[in-house]
Amino acid sequence: MKLLSSYIKEMKIAARGFYFYIEVGFAVILLLILLVAVNESSVSKNYEFLYYDMSDELFDVYYSSSIEDGFVEVSDNTSFEAKALSFEVTNEETGAVTSYDFDKTTYDVKTYMMYDRDTGEFNKYLYITDTEEAMIHLSYAEKKVGATTRFSDDYDVEYDYFIQGFETQRLRDLMYVVHNESQDVLMETVNSIEVRKLGEVEILNNRENLVPVMIVFMGSLMGFFIVMAYIFLDKAEGVIRAFAVTPSSVWKYLLSKIMVITTTVLVSSSIIAIPVMGLQPNYLLFYLLLIVTTFAFAALGLLVASYFDSISKSFGVLYGTMIALMIPAFSYFIPSFDPVWLRFFPTYPMLQGFKEIIMVNTDVGYVLAYSGVFLVSGLILFLLANIRFKKTLTV
Amino acid sequence: MISVKNLSHTYSNNKKLAVNNISFDVAKGETFGFLGPSGAGKSTTQGILTGLLKQQSGEVSVAGYDTMKVENERFNKIGVSFEQSNVYGKLTAKENLEFYAKLFDVPTRDAIELIHLIGLEGKENDRAETFSKGMKHRLTFARSMINNPELWFLDEPTTGLDPTIAATIKDIIREKTIGGTTAFLTTHNMYIADDLCDRVAFIIDGKIVLVDTPKNLKLQYGQKLVDIEYINDGNVVKETLKTIDEQDRLRVGEIVNKYEIQTMHTKEATLEEIFIQVTGRRLV
Repeated sequence: MKLLSSYIKEMKIAARGFYFYIEVGFAVILLLILLVAVNESSVSKNYEFLYYDMSDELFDVYYSSSIEDGFVEVSDNTSFEAKALSFEVTNEETGAVTSYDFDKTTYDVKTYMMYDRDTGEFNKYLYITDTEEAMIHLSYAEKKVGATTRFSDDYDVEYDYFIQGFETQRLRDLMYVVHNESQDVLMETVNSIEVRKLGEVEILNNRENLVPVMIVFMGSLMGFFIVMAYIFLDKAEGVIRAFAVTPSSVWKYLLSKIMVITTTVLVSSSIIAIPVMGLQPNYLLFYLLLIVTTFAFAALGLLVASYFDSISKSFGVLYGTMIALMIPAFSYFIPSFDPVWLRFFPTYPMLQGFKEIIMVNTDVGYVLAYSGVFLVSGLILFLLANIRFKKTLTV
Repeated sequence: MISVKNLSHTYSNNKKLAVNNISFDVAKGETFGFLGPSGAGKSTTQGILTGLLKQQSGEVSVAGYDTMKVENERFNKIGVSFEQSNVYGKLTAKENLEFYAKLFDVPTRDAIELIHLIGLEGKENDRAETFSKGMKHRLTFARSMINNPELWFLDEPTTGLDPTIAATIKDIIREKTIGGTTAFLTTHNMYIADDLCDRVAFIIDGKIVLVDTPKNLKLQYGQKLVDIEYINDGNVVKETLKTIDEQDRLRVGEIVNKYEIQTMHTKEATLEEIFIQVTGRRLV
């Protein structure tokens, strides 16, 4: 009953303050951006730089069948301006290091458009340079994969890949596997594999793909920030001391704050998720993960707030934590950037968890396991915050 | 109602004792004044008694509860009026009191009745953030009465209030204490202490230097004086004479018989004068 009274009181205060409206207003703005400014289908330009170390005649032969079959289409040349760069390239097989020193250069490259052999959908642009140096310069400047293709004396196709260094081992292994066997052996192997579809593969469109990121940052970051703002507001008014001399416990006061934050996050996240995702997600899991993660991050906010008197004094920790929590978003948008250390950031499993939930084939076990982890972490943080608040009450 | 034995307290990283081995008792129904200048240890002592500060040493019992043990239900018997007003600015006066009323497990007073009692009629539904400092202070004071406390901690209850409102607050305190409420009054205002307290303790540098009734203190330390203004050769002359001194008493008779008296007032020593006399320090 006391907890309920505290919650109702906190909701009244939140409704009369501006943080609640900031969160809800921000959610509405994000929804509008998703619906108006983000296309459902991918319009991102996937491309790579290639250099063919062969005569023009051989090159024409190499592409002729693909062009005839319609899988490759010749387009107008594209102009790229690469800035002045100095860097070294290490050959992973021999360990030899080659230094490059490029001036700012504009390259005019042949442009081919490549289509998927199965679906016929546009796949990527192939930019073919006249020299290997141009390919290396452009690959490095554009942070894209580059490759040199040549024929051996036995007319086997050979490839030299130029990668950036941050690619996963899986991608590197794939490059080796694809080219270290002859095409015939590979085709034979691929054809002998029986593929059974377990269900329809669901690929998130651009708009849907952004939903987990927005939910995570509206929930965790805003929850973390706003609970601190509420605490500092109360510290300025001195009402925590008044609460401490009532029969109600400090933990009820703290939990009522978390309940208000959770309510706000549920509203703001629903504003974003429901119009974009419709009935597709498993909403039971969605709200379970949302509640436990909001609880954990709000508890973290309470703990941090217990160490400071005012929001201005906490800015360093506040922004440092928020920026650190955002880092896993890089991995989310650039799957090739997936170092192991990134998985220790709490927002990493949150992003993957929400992505799992909005997919049709949700990995329920993964979501439940991480929900449990966040619940336990939140409880520990909450207990620590409660101890800190009791200790830091002053006369 | 309050029993304190050998209580000491120090703040972290500071070996100096804010409260240094103090002992005192407050009886049920008594109004006990805890007097001293700023930094003397008044608020630290009250903080320990109200549970806002963790007790480090000594034995303290408040309203029958050992303060070393965390028992929140003791606050059903206790009311605390803070020196710094601390109410929710976004809530109205009525909402503030109604919210706190719900936190207690005992019958509580009507919010509107309390608001009227402290002279905030017509402000029931105004948000506290629109109140003046004095109005917020009165609301904080009213909140401390919401649970009909048996033991009432009052920290500078009339600070910052105009004389009329201060008089109203004093009347409310007097009425409550006559009704049996025990009051622990922390103040550096000797006039309100003199007016309200059954007993006072002087605290300085964390130590209690004296505990007694205001009347006994005046008898023990005070000197009754007479201020006389009279006309002598066309000039107004003023003399202050002690009524307990034989020579001065004779001089009073001489002046009355010989000169035209303009004014004559008897005067007893104030608690402030006694405090200065006992401690050698002023109450600032």
